[in-house]
Amino acid sequence: MGEATRQPPLRVAIVDDEEPARSLLRELLAHADGVEIVAECANGFEAVRAVNDLALDLLFLDVQMPGLSGFDVLELVDRDVAVIFVTAYDTHAVHAFEVYAVDYLLKPFSAERLAEALARTRRRLGRPQPALTDALATAQPVQARLTRLLVREGPSVFVIPIAKLDVVEARDDYLCLRAEGREYRKQETLAKLEARLDPARFVRVHRSFIVNVARILRVERYAKDSHLAVLADGRKVPVSRAGFARLRTLMRGS
Amino acid sequence: MHPILSFRGRLGPYLAAWVPLGGLLAGLLRIAGASWAEAAAIAFPMAVLYGFICLAAWYPCKSASPQRIPFLRVITTQAVAAALSAILWLFLVDTWVVLLDQFPVFASATSRFSRLVPVILAVGVVLYALVAALHYLLMAFEEARQAERTALELELLAREAELRSLRAQIDPHFLFNALNSISSLVGSDPGAARAMCLKLAEFLRDSLRVGSSPSIPLAEELALAEKYLAVEKARFGGRLQVEHDMSAEAGSCAVPPLVLQPLVENAVRHGVASLVDGGVIRIAARRTGDQLRVTVENPFDPEGPVRQGEGVGLANVRGRLAVAFGEDASVAARREGGTFRVELAWPARPAVMA
Repeated sequence: MGEATRQPPLRVAIVDDEEPARSLLRELLAHADGVEIVAECANGFEAVRAVNDLALDLLFLDVQMPGLSGFDVLELVDRDVAVIFVTAYDTHAVHAFEVYAVDYLLKPFSAERLAEALARTRRRLGRPQPALTDALATAQPVQARLTRLLVREGPSVFVIPIAKLDVVEARDDYLCLRAEGREYRKQETLAKLEARLDPARFVRVHRSFIVNVARILRVERYAKDSHLAVLADGRKVPVSRAGFARLRTLMRGS
Repeated sequence: MHPILSFRGRLGPYLAAWVPLGGLLAGLLRIAGASWAEAAAIAFPMAVLYGFICLAAWYPCKSASPQRIPFLRVITTQAVAAALSAILWLFLVDTWVVLLDQFPVFASATSRFSRLVPVILAVGVVLYALVAALHYLLMAFEEARQAERTALELELLAREAELRSLRAQIDPHFLFNALNSISSLVGSDPGAARAMCLKLAEFLRDSLRVGSSPSIPLAEELALAEKYLAVEKARFGGRLQVEHDMSAEAGSCAVPPLVLQPLVENAVRHGVASLVDGGVIRIAARRTGDQLRVTVENPFDPEGPVRQGEGVGLANVRGRLAVAFGEDASVAARREGGTFRVELAWPARPAVMA
């Protein structure tokens, strides 16, 4: 194709739980110039690992996948990578553009449409991009109440069902989540997490603590204007005056 | 809606019909001793005027419909209306005659006219009766047309509802995904692509065919589900497995067509597709006594993301069984650990082959 300016090839990963969908992209991308497929992932967990281990430029990302959805994957990666969603559902398009997806391919798509998406990616990569994490933060309010928390530690991803979450503690610049006797780190602010938790089950008892109400055994007086919540596992969590008031209204309400 | 005034082109012929009546009245006046000119000057306006007055017959006709109130009341209502119309007519015509009397040509018209008063009243009542009958006739005609239109509209609505329910039963995204798989196979395995086209076509053709009949044998319904699953298997490969267990006597029982489709679709979409390693969808059907029991069971990820559309398919199935069997049908959905199970039961009836 003539004297196209020589650029390093795009490092691409294909993420789809359906083999035929992956092989279609593989075949079409094989004919595209300047694309190198460095990974194929059959689920979101593999995708998270691929993004963190391989220096990827572009992710072809299915939305509905077992375990982790395409959006979950983006929540768990902290590397900047361009994303093209590939799905049969047009209903996710708005959300996709909220997380700054480069493009949104509707299955089935043509080779021409794919080429257009690649061209768009190359144009986009030349420019500075807004950080994905910021984009996700603004996209969150659209989402429904949390039913589970996603945490990545090194290469592994943990899915914590919300009912198993005991306590959340805000530390320096991350959150410490405690669930089933284990602690997890998550890059998030306590206020943002609080906004997405069910207020009937989780209470902000302190400036830096959110507690699962079902885990509270009793509340002890600790000093004037401050209490301690004793949890089922014996641990104690400080309760501020405002937190105590919130707890009391919740207990009375139920 | 007034049967004459509300329709363009009815008022003209109606009033024209009163003109010969004017001739008749003129004859009467002539007999009473009026000149031809006088008779005409009185009779024709008189006739057309009464034509207008009688248009009001619509009101008593509307309120005194013989289908709704006793016949005796219809008669009394109409008799009073007839008398009032005739008296009003007489009064107006009398005023007209008094006016004419002012002209020398029509001198002493009043005296000649007064002799005709009983005759005019009688004619007024008879004419009113005729017009009332005409109104009843036109109203009945209108009602029949309305009923026909309503029936047509209802039929249209029913068909639309049927189409909507069919659309709800087959998820269009299934088609998009299947087409994407075919698009993929065309490059890597043209033979498999062709086979998948055929499977998809077979499923679509069969679902359209059975969708128009009120009920089909369960065996046919399951065969359809199998065709659907065959297409889905191309997408999910070894992740999707299916087990059937249907007794022969259950297979011959009647089911509303495509009633299992939403359940099977959910079992794939929210079940097997939600698991990294997939799983087995189990469909079982038994006849116990006079009950037919069908179970659809699938593994799912209890910790997976909440997906849209859950519950829509189940509600659809519930609604369709309720329409077909009323309270005799039951739908129970249960989550047990990582298994989702829907149990359907309804009275076993042998399927009638079309």
